[in-house]
Amino acid sequence: MNNSKHFNVTIRVWRQSGPDEQGRMVPYEVKDISPDMSFLEMIDVLNENLIKKNEQPITVESDCREGICGCCGLVVNGEVHGPDEHSTVCQLHMRRFKDGDIITVEPWRVRSFPIIKDLAVDRSALDRIIQAGGYISVNTGAAPDANSIPVNKDNAEEAMDSAACIGCGACVAACPNGAAMLFTGAKISQLALLPQGEPEKQTRALNMVAAMDCEKFGNCSNEYECEAVCPKDIKVSNIARMNREFMLANLFSKH
Amino acid sequence: MKLDAQIPSGPIEKKWDSHKFNTKLVNPNNKRKFDILVVGTGLAGASAAASLGELGYNVKVFCLQDTPRRAHSIAAQGGINAAKNYPNDGDSVWRLFHDTIKGGDYRAREANVYRLAQISNQIIDHCAAIGVPFGREYGGLLSTRSFGGAQVSRTFYTRGQTGQQLLLGAYSAMMRQAAAGTVKIYPRREMADIVISNGRARGITVRNLVTGELENYSGHAVLLCTGGYANVFYLSTNAALCNVSAAWAAYKKGAGLANPCFTQIHPTCIPRSGEHQSKLTLMSESLRNDGRIWVPKTKGDKRHANEIPEGERDYFLERRYPAFGNLVPRDIASRASKAMIDEGRGVGPTGLSVYLDFRDSIKRKGEDKIREEYGNLFDMYHQITDENGYKVPMRIYPASHYTMGGLWVDYNLMTTVPGLFALGEANFSDHGANRLGASALMQGLADGFFVIPATIGGYLGGSKFEPVNATAAEFKAGESAVKNKLNKLLAIKGKKTPTEFHRQLGNVMWNDCGMGRTETTLKKALKKIPEIREEFWTNLALPGTSMEMNQTLEKAFKVADFLEFSELLVKDALERKESCGAHFREESVTPEGEARRDDANFSHAAVWEYKGEGKEPALNKEPLVFENIKIAERNYK
Amino acid sequence: MNITFIRRLISASIGRKVLMAVSGLALGLFMLVHLAENLLLFKGEMAYNDWVDFLLSNPLTPFFEVGLLGIFIIHIVMGVWVRVEDFINAPRGYEARKWQGGRTIGSATQLYTAAAILAYLTYHMLTFRFVNHDMGFYQMVTSAFRNNFFVAIYVGGALAVVLHLSHGMQSAFQTLGVSHPKYTPFIKLGGWLVALTMMGFAFISVYYLFGLDLGAAAVEMTVVQ
Repeated sequence: MNNSKHFNVTIRVWRQSGPDEQGRMVPYEVKDISPDMSFLEMIDVLNENLIKKNEQPITVESDCREGICGCCGLVVNGEVHGPDEHSTVCQLHMRRFKDGDIITVEPWRVRSFPIIKDLAVDRSALDRIIQAGGYISVNTGAAPDANSIPVNKDNAEEAMDSAACIGCGACVAACPNGAAMLFTGAKISQLALLPQGEPEKQTRALNMVAAMDCEKFGNCSNEYECEAVCPKDIKVSNIARMNREFMLANLFSKH
Repeated sequence: MKLDAQIPSGPIEKKWDSHKFNTKLVNPNNKRKFDILVVGTGLAGASAAASLGELGYNVKVFCLQDTPRRAHSIAAQGGINAAKNYPNDGDSVWRLFHDTIKGGDYRAREANVYRLAQISNQIIDHCAAIGVPFGREYGGLLSTRSFGGAQVSRTFYTRGQTGQQLLLGAYSAMMRQAAAGTVKIYPRREMADIVISNGRARGITVRNLVTGELENYSGHAVLLCTGGYANVFYLSTNAALCNVSAAWAAYKKGAGLANPCFTQIHPTCIPRSGEHQSKLTLMSESLRNDGRIWVPKTKGDKRHANEIPEGERDYFLERRYPAFGNLVPRDIASRASKAMIDEGRGVGPTGLSVYLDFRDSIKRKGEDKIREEYGNLFDMYHQITDENGYKVPMRIYPASHYTMGGLWVDYNLMTTVPGLFALGEANFSDHGANRLGASALMQGLADGFFVIPATIGGYLGGSKFEPVNATAAEFKAGESAVKNKLNKLLAIKGKKTPTEFHRQLGNVMWNDCGMGRTETTLKKALKKIPEIREEFWTNLALPGTSMEMNQTLEKAFKVADFLEFSELLVKDALERKESCGAHFREESVTPEGEARRDDANFSHAAVWEYKGEGKEPALNKEPLVFENIKIAERNYK
Repeated sequence: MNITFIRRLISASIGRKVLMAVSGLALGLFMLVHLAENLLLFKGEMAYNDWVDFLLSNPLTPFFEVGLLGIFIIHIVMGVWVRVEDFINAPRGYEARKWQGGRTIGSATQLYTAAAILAYLTYHMLTFRFVNHDMGFYQMVTSAFRNNFFVAIYVGGALAVVLHLSHGMQSAFQTLGVSHPKYTPFIKLGGWLVALTMMGFAFISVYYLFGLDLGAAAVEMTVVQ
């Protein structure tokens, strides 16, 4: 392998030993980085060195490392999920950086996502939003033949666009107000667009919005930073649809 | 070890229905008195939790991720098979059954596979009903695509994210039950041990990954839905957290582990770029529809791919398998690529890849057409390698992907430990020695949504349960055993990281027990693994404590189990002196060098039984009886 | 009587936003009408004063004024409420933070332009509404517009309105759920046009500041001669 392209960077990382501890930025030098490494592999290298020195490695969460599980999430040099458009931070590669770069690495800093340790945060609030109504109430075994309900292809495609959400929380981390509107809107939209979701779309919209508010997420100021950072390119039209569904439900449902 | 598969009598078409009728039911009012512990929230775990919750059981679900929606089922791309026959191309339950048995190289249990094919249709119905946005035709009906190993179009899909959408569907069904109060979810918990009381699985000990505390949960049945062990190869397409620990704990508590050597290698993955590589990324097999696979004819040809003239290229799959060409099944394509690389004709900076070339199809169909069909895969390839697949041939290399082996289960999905069930990839499953594309999702959901709700009642309703609670002596004993293990790991204070040991183990497994296995290499592996294990327990570097979030400790815990399990895998591979499916013993080949099955001696599931620390495991055999399918040799020439 | 749906309008995040959007659109509409009225200045003293007299003698006007005040209050109260909540919930502590493409100057300065508009409106009320109108409205307005300081405030106020609406108009439609891949680009464009139209207020004041009306009158006289 050609090592001449290898380079060194300094990363400044948020270190916080526990939920209630004081955190701070700590600089680390990482040497001999290959441009083919992913950003998380660069942190792996650093962590390996820390472990060997019997120091606590940086706690950073990731699982699939191919941008689908939604586990990873970092703010790199002030950019949510890093500089690449519409991708997760696990898909970021070191070739985006150059020798001598100083890279700032921070966790999601949102009131509703408390920091657990270093770069790991608790995003369970998003689960509780889904729990409030992000489903279709059909028991196993009760379904009619799948082809008995035709679905307009455009609607099915649009529902799939919304369903692509990986629940990483980047929209919240990037929102000037810490709102979870894009996340909630995407799920409400997906199910509102499908005839299967029609029967309970009113209560779903009311309950999911209530759960979202209850989790202390912010309001939407329609600035669309969420759309700009979403790794799955989920559109703010989902938020518009949620607003519409919510208002119609509020006006016309019996609840 | 008694291996009674509990296969119902009667004709194969009637077995499942008559079994459901003959199985004891639990009175609706009594269901809430039964606590069921589900470990893992992938397709199998989430769907089981949802359907059992719907029935009224009291379900507790555990997952090691921060939320149940992250389980690795989410990464499945291609689709899910079902015998709907919507395209009117002659599909049927019988054909899906037949294809699956044949694809698995005749090493799966007939009755289970037939049931799987029967249930496949219900899965599609249910998933459509719970809002999975399947791909559709303009008329609004469901669309299907073709997949390897089948001559019909029976694969349902949601773009390239079928696993994600099915998992989110199962997750949402489970969250609905969480809202209803029948399911309680415990995320960030790693199962550390299974608690056996009076010979039955009655609880689990888990480690809270945030606080480090050990927690005990008691119940009437334990369902392991903990996925496969492909990470035993270190580099695989599996997520970083996938592990064998839960299955290994079950094995040590008396559950038989079947066919661990059946590990599937996927041919079209993006090759590794260096030592730092942490995982391999899969690209859909569909690329082989238009891409031609080749290597240079001469060894060590260092020219740029585009400078190698047509006459000096070896399209080895087309040469060796003229009938199927680039579309031979996964195992065959993987092995052929490996053979080229072993000959020194591999390409790329590491020499560990072969070309997947779209030049000719771009010439024939135009770049736009190729972009339309595979654009996202080309983008992904570009993102990872910084190479433009439209201009330069892609480079691919096989990677460990799925494991057919797992905990032995009977027709009811119960392991050899009463009350301990295994679902999805965690069990030794319905895929035999090789899984066909788009069948993993089908099996996970079949087990969770439809099989376990019907069979668990037979166990719960048919036995008397003495009360056990989480403070019982059995739990305390299990807890202290786990504590000892953790403390032992933390006390080593050595120099090598868990990842280094894992990588070392992976190298041994990949080189000596990977795509091609011989008695020599396997014996070599059996010598090396205990050496690595010994060094692990004397030279492991592990900072921090057990009473905090400690990812290094989590990793070490998993690697420790891989280091034990891998030995069993190799033993199984050594014991199975035939080539079948994904298991390729280089000694057992036809004169043309193709895999040769040995039905006379190996038509069985090899079930391994734990005999105690430091003792040789015992091998039990469940003979496979084929009453409905005529056994034949797989031929793709 | 079930009043949940009314309560929800105020208690739910989206409810508050909808109240803001509806009141904002109403205010925008009022501004357009108000601008049209002001354009009557160009028709001359008689036309303008006649219109004002008609308004003042109209028995509905006080109701309208109270309604307008109410809409203003809703817009302000909801705006402040939402902003306070956002202030509490906003991500904070990022050492480095880059906006990645959504935020505009208009959207980032909503609160500041709102404050500027409120200050300007207060001044506007004190100078035009709650004063002695004996000299006649036309005289009052045009003479005020010959004052540098007054016009500076007027132009500043108009700019604040433009900036506020550059984000606010499209934002209101989004909040009300009016979104469609075909029409949203037009809505955004329309929002900008409405916002820019508000420069009309500035134009009128500058017109009188530079005595352009006198020039026009002079030209008219020349033609008559």
